[in-house]
Amino acid sequence: MSSPILQLDGVMKSYDALLATNNVSLDVVAGEIHALIGPNGAGKTTLIKQIYGSERPDSGRILLNGEDITSLSVPKRVRKGIGRSFQISNVLTDFTMRENAIIAAQAQRQEAFQFFLPAFDDASLIEDAMVILDAVGLTPKANILVSELAHGERRLLELALAMAGEPCLLLLDEPMAGAGPQESQHMTDIISALRACHGILLIEHDMDAVFALADRITVLVEGAVIAHGTSAEISQNPAVREAYLGREDEAC
Amino acid sequence: MTRFFSLIGRGLLQHRAMMYLLVGFALFPLYTGFADLPFWNDVAIRIMLLGMASMGLNLVLGYSGMVSFGHAAFFGIGAYCVGISSYYDIFNGWIHIGFSLVTCGLMGVIIGLLSLRTSGIYFIMITLAFAQMLFFGFVSLETFGGDDGMSIDRAEFGLIDLYEPLRLYFLVWAALVIVSLLLMFIVHSRFGVTLRAIKSNESRVEAMGLTPLKFKITAYVISAMICGLAGTLFASWQEYVSPDIMHWTRSGELMIIIILGGLGTLAGPLLGAIAFLLLEEFLPELIQAIAPDYAENWMIVFGPILIAIVMFGRGGLLGLLIKLFQRKGAS
Repeated sequence: MSSPILQLDGVMKSYDALLATNNVSLDVVAGEIHALIGPNGAGKTTLIKQIYGSERPDSGRILLNGEDITSLSVPKRVRKGIGRSFQISNVLTDFTMRENAIIAAQAQRQEAFQFFLPAFDDASLIEDAMVILDAVGLTPKANILVSELAHGERRLLELALAMAGEPCLLLLDEPMAGAGPQESQHMTDIISALRACHGILLIEHDMDAVFALADRITVLVEGAVIAHGTSAEISQNPAVREAYLGREDEAC
Repeated sequence: MTRFFSLIGRGLLQHRAMMYLLVGFALFPLYTGFADLPFWNDVAIRIMLLGMASMGLNLVLGYSGMVSFGHAAFFGIGAYCVGISSYYDIFNGWIHIGFSLVTCGLMGVIIGLLSLRTSGIYFIMITLAFAQMLFFGFVSLETFGGDDGMSIDRAEFGLIDLYEPLRLYFLVWAALVIVSLLLMFIVHSRFGVTLRAIKSNESRVEAMGLTPLKFKITAYVISAMICGLAGTLFASWQEYVSPDIMHWTRSGELMIIIILGGLGTLAGPLLGAIAFLLLEEFLPELIQAIAPDYAENWMIVFGPILIAIVMFGRGGLLGLLIKLFQRKGAS
């Protein structure tokens, strides 16, 4: 097993009386997809937010490649190598796909604070943008306004933007949410291929996708880790079946 | 240089509209000269200066989506830079402009840093509060005329004597051209594009590893400095400065001009300033002719006209013009 990219060490977070994250420790190693599952309200997104930096833990440490990032701001963490896709599509809707990718490309090059360099008509930025879009197969639609895109395509664009910063760790918060079966399959294929160069922490409700993708699974209930293991171990774990999978079955 | 021309060519109607307006202002004195209407040169100067201030505010309001309701403060600070300099016997216009740019830049940093921590309605209120603070500050400064303001002489610009006809006009015009070109570059630069991205979705920009505040504060300072420059020239033209120049209604006026002309466009604010000031000039006369009893209440007509343009012409006057041109091109 290679050294962990991300390490959480006893992370705690509470909102008033509600304990949202209860002493969570987990790690993500290079080349693996680590899925975080749990019923609604288990604190999965809250945990992702603390790794990403938009929320700070009350105690505990978060390490990225061995470096303590617990007190860093979001942009600093992103520059250290964290990419994120959000639960609700979070892309630049007033721009075309190509423009979205160009803005990401110039940010990645640390050239966003340039007053006299062209942006949307710069040949080398366009080239970079096309590489970004190509990674998720969106190049044919580069010139379409995001607000005119279908939901699934927005999800793909968001994934492409998250990868544009060449992160070592990708935080994917329900990338399949709201996607049709075909789109889900497409997304699963893409995420699976990403494993080669990124560590991925994945939150997903689509259990088929989780079992198809995940190398390891951590189950979170009421903010605490109740089980942790490989896909096979988790699917056999009686406590998990009761707390999570069973309830999911009833719901359907 | 090639990039310069490609900028004018690209964006097509937007930039061409800007070019036509600037060329129009350059040629306007020819018309007033032949028709012997020197008064209209003064109207044009007023339009250019309020247009310039609106263009500055537009960088914040239109391109970055920050509703600043206090930009008249910077216009006023720029104007008082002339007044205060003159009080201490400094009449050199270049010094006035330098003084104004530095002061407005610094005030922009201070006010920006404090108010940009908030957003939405709080940002509107806090910018208004700062502007009001400065307004009453100048009202209480008896040394500089307090409430009554102070008369000032036009600044000296080396060999350019502003009391000669049209010298001031072309000084203002040149400043407007420089500001227009500057904004044209900024808006299409990587910085400008990132600003628009922040307006569209701040959290996505953050997820790209950028700090939105850094971009917003820079835009705020640039816009404050442009408003300051406009105010400086305005004071020199008016030969008078009083706290009224930074009354909160002027902040509103600048916002109306932008929305009227086209929010987040280059030529919009200038077009808006033309429409706004011409309406202000002609409406009272028109109503005087039709219904003399109501001439004093010309605002009653003015308001609904503004509302109609904002409601039915989304994209403002520039949006309407572009639509018109495109329809012509299509048929």
